[in-house]
Amino acid sequence: MRRRMTSAPGESPVRLYHVSKSYMAGQFALQDVSLEIRRGEFVFLTGASGAGKTTLLELIFAAEQPSEGQIVVLGRNVARLGARAIPALRRRVGVVFQDFKLLEDRTVEENVRLALDVIGTPRREARNRVFSMLKSVGLQHRRFHHPRSLSGGEQQRVALARALVNEPEILLADEPTGNLDPELTLEIMDLIAAAATRGTTVVVATHDHSLIERYGKRWLRLEGGRIAEDLPATAGVERGAAR
Amino acid sequence: MNRALILIGIALANAARGIRRASTTSLLAVLTIAVVLVLVGSAWLLVGNMASLLDEFGAELGMTAYLDPALSEASQRELVARVSQEDDVATATLVTKEEALLRFEKIAGSGDLLSGLEENPLPPALEIRLVPAARTEAGVERVEAVLADLPGVTELAHGQEWIEGYARAIALVRGIALGLGTVLGLAALLIVANTIRLAIYARRDELDILALVGASRTFVRVPFLLEGTIQGLLGGLLALFLVFATFSLLQSQLEYGLELVLGRAGLAFFTKGQSIALVAAGAGLGLLGSITALVGWKGTS
Repeated sequence: MRRRMTSAPGESPVRLYHVSKSYMAGQFALQDVSLEIRRGEFVFLTGASGAGKTTLLELIFAAEQPSEGQIVVLGRNVARLGARAIPALRRRVGVVFQDFKLLEDRTVEENVRLALDVIGTPRREARNRVFSMLKSVGLQHRRFHHPRSLSGGEQQRVALARALVNEPEILLADEPTGNLDPELTLEIMDLIAAAATRGTTVVVATHDHSLIERYGKRWLRLEGGRIAEDLPATAGVERGAAR
Repeated sequence: MNRALILIGIALANAARGIRRASTTSLLAVLTIAVVLVLVGSAWLLVGNMASLLDEFGAELGMTAYLDPALSEASQRELVARVSQEDDVATATLVTKEEALLRFEKIAGSGDLLSGLEENPLPPALEIRLVPAARTEAGVERVEAVLADLPGVTELAHGQEWIEGYARAIALVRGIALGLGTVLGLAALLIVANTIRLAIYARRDELDILALVGASRTFVRVPFLLEGTIQGLLGGLLALFLVFATFSLLQSQLEYGLELVLGRAGLAFFTKGQSIALVAAGAGLGLLGSITALVGWKGTS
């Protein structure tokens, strides 16, 4: 497997130093957040609606800039990143959303291939990589179908395939199972967990505490834009089980 | 394969997909450009043919310098050579006393009018045709000043009013064509820009997703530029076809009418270069429309 190593080995791919984000004067979506996520680590992010989960993810993939503090993602300071440098960073960060964000007029294969098209991957290589990726999420037989003909779980697997086909160093998932039933939820979460075992740093924002119990990973709980709890993997299991 | 070529291929595929997806608005843009270029092309063709006709008439406008009858034949030839050297002069032709008499008899219908006279009273003359650039009041004055200083020239005659009228007619026709072209071109530009803006709005979800997967600004924008250019190119080709078809249909009738009224009939369609220029103008209009639509569009975050 190809893997780019541009940040120094051992250097954490996500580091936040006293980061605040405010959309309106005096109202903070995130306030004084400092944290470090290590390479290959799997982190659950929880909190009530408006706690700052989505804002934190948006800051990591440079959709937003911090109002205060510094964010270093894969060795790049997001606060100082120019508009032209953002696409290069995003090619190294896969993102999955609750609403899948698939293009209805393109086939499954074309949707997944988007991530390879933007970097000018030759057509044959792109087709092979997309096929392998779809095979790994169990959808190779559906590659010529359009998203509308797929179930919710299948659509999320396509979105996951698109996020992972470029072998990103970080995978961010914002409520990836929010629209799925329990069985499909586990299917998707197993695929995400598998990415982490291959060395991808994974951050999953979720409301579903049962996932924290089941997977027993590091657990960050946000409250009012601040980190209320940061529990390591094992403690996460105990704490999740207690709720 | 070269990465740039792959990206160009992807951009072309995305542009074609964009046109297919928004086929109604794309068709509207093509038709708008075609209509504008049909109007501009027709005006251009009209002006071109009018200018040719005016040039033909203008070529006949000139000056006559009457010469001293006592001037020797050698001196008359020297005078012709001297006047022909002037930049403003296209041709200078000597009309001898005998030739002048023959012309008079031809116009008058018989030689009876001058038969009572013992000798030919008509003086020799120089008939001067001006180059197109000199067919103006200033051009006539320049040539007049040269002729006035030459020995042997006794009198000058020219159709000053005709020459001024010719110059005004040419300026008016060109001015109208330029004004019409500018107004129609701007209208087409705005329509194409709005069509592309609508296309961008209709595809904002796609643009959001492209931004998510790390598409550069160029990757996102180039298909829209290509889309506008392709629409313009198609509009230009359609306009050329329509203008040609209309010209072919009307040519014989127009030429018959012109022959009756003006005694001239030669109407010409665009040259190959002009035809290419009309189609290229369509492509340029489409490209410019896309650029106008994308200016100020910050794109997705």
